[in-house]
Amino acid sequence: MPNTLKLTVSHAPFWHNGSSISSKSRNILLASLLAVVPGCYQYGMAAVGVVTMSIASAIIWELLINFISRRPISVGDGNAALIGMIFAMMLPATTPWWAVVTGTFFAVVIAKEIFGGIGANPFNPAVLAMTILMLSWGNLFDFNAALLNYSFNFKAVYPLVLSKSFGAHAVEPFALMDLLLGKQIGGIGSTCGIGLILGGVYLILRGFIRWEVCFSFLAGIIIAALCFNILNPELYAGPGFHLLTGYTMIGAFFLATEDSSSPVNFIPMLIYGFLGGALTILIRNIGTHIDGVLYAILIINLVNPLLDKIRPKAIGKGV
Amino acid sequence: MIKRSFFGLVKPKLQYEIIDDAQPEPVNINASEKIMLYIDQPYENKANSLLKIGDQVKNGQKIEVVKDADAYMLSSKSGQISNISSFVGFMEKKLTAVTIDIDDQANQLLDDSFKDVYKTPSMENAKDLLSGLPGKPDFDVFFHPDKPIKSIVVLGVDGDLLTTTNQWFIKNGIISVKTGIDLLRKITGIHDIILIVPQHLAQVAGSAGATVKTVDSEYPAAHPQLIIRHILADKNLGGNDIASNSGIAFFSAEAVSAIGAAYKTGQIPLDKIVTFISKDGNKQLVSVPIGTPLQDILSQLNESLNDGDRVIFGGPMTGVAVYSPDFPVMPDTDAIIIQDKSQVVERADVACINCGECVRVCPANIQINQLIRFLEAGQYEEAADQYDLFSCIECGFCSFVCESRIPVFQHIKLAKHTLESMNAAEENNA
Ligand code: SF4
Ligand code: SF4
Repeated sequence: MPNTLKLTVSHAPFWHNGSSISSKSRNILLASLLAVVPGCYQYGMAAVGVVTMSIASAIIWELLINFISRRPISVGDGNAALIGMIFAMMLPATTPWWAVVTGTFFAVVIAKEIFGGIGANPFNPAVLAMTILMLSWGNLFDFNAALLNYSFNFKAVYPLVLSKSFGAHAVEPFALMDLLLGKQIGGIGSTCGIGLILGGVYLILRGFIRWEVCFSFLAGIIIAALCFNILNPELYAGPGFHLLTGYTMIGAFFLATEDSSSPVNFIPMLIYGFLGGALTILIRNIGTHIDGVLYAILIINLVNPLLDKIRPKAIGKGV
Repeated sequence: MIKRSFFGLVKPKLQYEIIDDAQPEPVNINASEKIMLYIDQPYENKANSLLKIGDQVKNGQKIEVVKDADAYMLSSKSGQISNISSFVGFMEKKLTAVTIDIDDQANQLLDDSFKDVYKTPSMENAKDLLSGLPGKPDFDVFFHPDKPIKSIVVLGVDGDLLTTTNQWFIKNGIISVKTGIDLLRKITGIHDIILIVPQHLAQVAGSAGATVKTVDSEYPAAHPQLIIRHILADKNLGGNDIASNSGIAFFSAEAVSAIGAAYKTGQIPLDKIVTFISKDGNKQLVSVPIGTPLQDILSQLNESLNDGDRVIFGGPMTGVAVYSPDFPVMPDTDAIIIQDKSQVVERADVACINCGECVRVCPANIQINQLIRFLEAGQYEEAADQYDLFSCIECGFCSFVCESRIPVFQHIKLAKHTLESMNAAEENNA
């Protein structure tokens, strides 16, 4: 009797917990909306335009690369869309379309695909792209000039510029509560502190990002800012201000936590995050740059492979 | 299937199955026409072989391919050999497949080579006649004077999820397990016998006449290497964790119970207890003669197979998928799982995203996110030298959680196998 039954044969294990890259991307996108929607509300259609343009162009760049390198189409995993979204969150609503498209080109093509695609990028693609753009067209990202034509019902000055130029006194008018609620100017999705925190907590609870990185990043900010503040309260603003301005919150929850460029072991994660936070404050307070988050994250991305060498010994190896 | 919990922050947990309090007696299944035995010995030199088509074999008879080989099987039925062929098993293993057309139930002939010796139990006659018992006892470990065995561990726990085979022997057959333990003590002269059971069976196990230790209910705590590491940490193991070098011999509760029964009655028990899990997730224990084809079990339990379904011999984490319903029950087949086509999760061809889920669950502390890059590139030697390939205890947990759905475990097995066969080839050439 010929046996024509075709059974599925594959290797163990025969169970999977059901996680996938696409569900991870979907959830991070969802969480980012908590910060992006208030941003769009604040800046209107221009912001919506930047966000959609960024996501769409990121996807198209990835499709193009798939096509050119004859690899299977990978946009379905949502990673390109996610890069586009996170990139847009850092942009001012007034960014011209060509800058958005150039930015996503740097993020998807240069920072991700050239290094070998998903999981092989040593730097956070959105951060690298943003840094390149800032170095090339700095005036586009001068938030004070960029958002001049808007009228807000709050102080429309980029808070970090004030503290940098005029010291801690100048930022006293900013009530922390207002900063938390996003009453400050900045990137589309980086000012609404409360949205970023809620989104971040959601992602932590669902296990899509690692709490070790977020918390130690914030701890790094708080401790370093506190040290400066105690040394010279006239000149250096306190930790609360630093936590809620610039890219701190988005950095802690959405940028530093990118999988490929961050460590996987417990102690390295703590060092990685803490270093990022502390470097941010160092750059803000002593460096020449206004915000330090992006550079700090690139630096910790760079040391990540070294950090991940601190790890428990595999069993059966030595005592 | 156990899914990732909604709150993924907590480490994923997989619990071993706990045997039901009201576990019904195993269902008896019989072989209908033939049995098939896979002997761990290549079938190369046909002229030299002891086996001939048409040979009469008896129930309990030792079936070996060449004289005095270590590997043999015991025929669970009497009948006539109708086919002998070479068979390539899992990971290129060369086996000999022997098919026996069985005599009807009323005319079963019993082999009596064991009858002659069972009154004088010894290590030698156990190795010679009982290695094919259900539970696959390994007596060879006692024959290496350079690696003396100091303790015996009896596993009253099951190695994989869903399975309750060994627990059943503790729960419902502790007396025969005790008989077996006493016998092992007698023939090996080893007094240190440790019985490992899950917490809920600790009390029953107390009467077995061995030191009882319990293991955690979380997979893979009952893995022999982890037992050595965590539960037997007080035994001086000289720094090396590999089970065969550690001075510890492992036996399953089923094997011990079978050894006891064999020496007590002179009759070799050859019915294997298997945890059978049907498509709808129903679990039941069946008692089936070793060598019985899966098809016989399926038809007697009214389970049907369709194209695309998956049949797993062993548990969901470490078992082996078979491609034909003719595949027979082996001495170590503790579970058989039938998965419907719809339950089969596709593996993907995506790169590792470095999420680290695997690293956080690996009981061997392997940096799998690094290791996998070398394995995918085929750089097995680097993988072994720098990324701890050989520390892997083969639990499969990494593949279970992988977000990219990479078949990590398969890569690991393949790498180990490739390196091992390369080493073997080098030794042969030297
Ligand atoms: S199978 Fe995977 S999780 Fe298990 S020990 Fe090996 S590498 Fe670690
Ligand atoms: S679980 Fe998979 S994707 Fe995540 S680090 Fe491990 S191998 Fe890579």
